[in-house]
Amino acid sequence: MASSSSSGLTFKLHPLVIVNISDHYTRVKSQMHPPTAAHANNNNGNGADAATSPPPPASRVYGCVIGVQRGRTVEIFNSFELLYDPSTHSLDRSFLEKKQELYKKVFPHFYILGWYSTGSDAQESDMHIHKALMDINESPVYVLLNPSINHAQKDLPVTIFESELHVIDGIPQLIFVRSSYTIETVEAERISVDHVAHLKPSDGGSAATQLAAHLTGIHSAIKMLNSRIRVLHHYLLAMQKGDIPCENSLLRQVSSLLRRLPAIESEKFQDDFLMEYNDTLLITYLAMFTNCSSTMNELVDKFNTAYDRHSRRGGRTAFM
Amino acid sequence: MDIEQKQADLIEHFVKRASALQGSALGALVADATSHPSLFAFSEILAVPSVLQLEGTDSSVYLDVLRLFAHGTWSDYKRNADRLLQLVPEQVLKLKQLTVLTLAETNKVLPYDQLMQELDVTNVRELEDFLINECMYAGIVRGKLDQLRRCFEVQFAAGRDLRPGQLGGMIQTLSSWLATSDNLLVSIQEKIKWADSMSELDKKHRKEVEDRVEEVKKSLSLKLHTVSRPTLTSEGMRRSTLNLVE
Repeated sequence: MASSSSSGLTFKLHPLVIVNISDHYTRVKSQMHPPTAAHANNNNGNGADAATSPPPPASRVYGCVIGVQRGRTVEIFNSFELLYDPSTHSLDRSFLEKKQELYKKVFPHFYILGWYSTGSDAQESDMHIHKALMDINESPVYVLLNPSINHAQKDLPVTIFESELHVIDGIPQLIFVRSSYTIETVEAERISVDHVAHLKPSDGGSAATQLAAHLTGIHSAIKMLNSRIRVLHHYLLAMQKGDIPCENSLLRQVSSLLRRLPAIESEKFQDDFLMEYNDTLLITYLAMFTNCSSTMNELVDKFNTAYDRHSRRGGRTAFM
Repeated sequence: MDIEQKQADLIEHFVKRASALQGSALGALVADATSHPSLFAFSEILAVPSVLQLEGTDSSVYLDVLRLFAHGTWSDYKRNADRLLQLVPEQVLKLKQLTVLTLAETNKVLPYDQLMQELDVTNVRELEDFLINECMYAGIVRGKLDQLRRCFEVQFAAGRDLRPGQLGGMIQTLSSWLATSDNLLVSIQEKIKWADSMSELDKKHRKEVEDRVEEVKKSLSLKLHTVSRPTLTSEGMRRSTLNLVE
C-alpha cells in the first residue's frame, strides 16, 4: 500500500501538530484506562477464560489538520480533534464544519489540508474517511502517529500519506503512498516545545530533585561531547600510526579547533567567576541567617506563651 | 570550517595543474597559488610529486617559497630575503595574513605591539585596518579588538598547514581534553549522588522530628486526661500544668 510518493509536493510539519496528536491520544487513553481496569477485574471475578486479560488496545483518535498550501509546498501548522462515528465509519461532518468556521475566524489563511489518526500503519477503512474529506480538499493528506514506544527507533513515528490513483488489477483505485516531510518551526514554537520537553515532575519543589535533574542534563551533554572527542582522538592516532592517509584539510580544522582551547582561562574570567561565586555564597548565607532568626523568634514566642509570668495572677512561678 | 570548503575546489584545481606541469613551469604555478586571495592551504600542493622533485634543483627556490607560505611567517621571509624570490604585493599580503594565523596559534590575546612588530606596521590605525579588512572579512580569524588594552582577542583562527611534529602535540591536547571531560563526568555523577543522599537525609530528619512531635503530643494529652478528671479548680490546673514543666 505504501510506495513512495510521486506528486512532488514537499511537506512541512510543525511540531505543534505532533504534540497535539500525542496529547489527544494520551488523554483518551488515560480516560479510558480506569474504567477498563475495573471491567477487567469483573471479568476475572466471573471466571472468564483468560487468566489475566491484557490491557485492551487503546482506541484510535481522529482529527483534522490545517495549514497553508503555497504552490508545491504544503505546510501543516495546527490540528484539532474530530468525533468518530464507529457505526458509519465516518467523521462527524457537522462538528467538522463548525470547528472549521471557528478556526477560520482566528486563522483566516489556514485551510483544511487533511486528517490525522493514530496506529501503526494505514488501513483500508481509512480510505473511507479519506474519500469523505476529498470534497473539502481535492488531495487531503493523512498524518499517522504510531503511539507505540520503540526505543530503537531514532526518528519520529509520524508518517504522512497521500492518496494516488493507481491501476491495480485493471481497476483504478486510490491507495495510500508515503511521503517524506521536514519539520519546520517558528521561534515561539521552538521555545514552547523545548519547555514541554524539559518538564520536571510537578512536585519537584525540593531543591535536590531539581538539582539532580539539571545535573543529569549537563551530564548527558558532556557525555556526547566526550564521545565525539574520543572519535577525533582515535582518528588522529590512526593517522599518526599511518593507518589512514593524512587528510590535510581535516587536520587544519582540528588544529584550529584545538586552538580555541582553553576557552576559559583568562584572568578576567577567574575574577568574574570568583565574584559571582562569592555573591551566591553570601546570598545563601543571608537566607540561612534569616531562616534561623525567624525560627528563633518563633521559639521565643512559644516560650513566652507557655511560660508567661505576667498574664495570670497567682499563677505559676517562673520556670526554673 | 567554511574556509576549508571555499578552499577545497581551489586546492583541487591547483593540484591538478601541478601534477601536469614539471620543473620551472611550476614557478608560475607557485606564484599563482601564493597570490590567490582565498587560498591559505598549501600542503596539498606540497605533496604533489612533481613539486617535491624540485628539491635540490635550480628551481628549488619555488619549493622554498611554497614551504615558506605553508609554515613560515613574514619575519622568516625578511631574514632570508636574499635567498628567496622577490614577492609581489599580493604574496606579501598573504604572507602577513598567514603570520597572523601563526601568532594566533600560540596566544589567544595578541598585544598590538607584537602584531605591529611582526607585521611591520607602524601605527595602530593601519594595523586595525589590516586586521579588519584582510583577516576578519576574509574569514580566517574571528575575534575582538580591544583598543583600550591594545590587544586583539582571538576567538577563532583558521588552521595553517601542519608541520610534521605538530600532530603529536595535537594528539596530546586531545587526550588531555578527553581526560578533563572524563573527570568532569565523574564529578558530576558524584554531585548527583550527593544531592540525592542529602535529600534522603533531610527527609529522614524531617520524619524523625514529626514523629517525636507526635509522641510528645500524645503523651501530653494522656497526662492532661489523667490529671484533669479529679479537680478542675485552679489549684488542680496549676498542679497539672506544673507537672507539664518537666
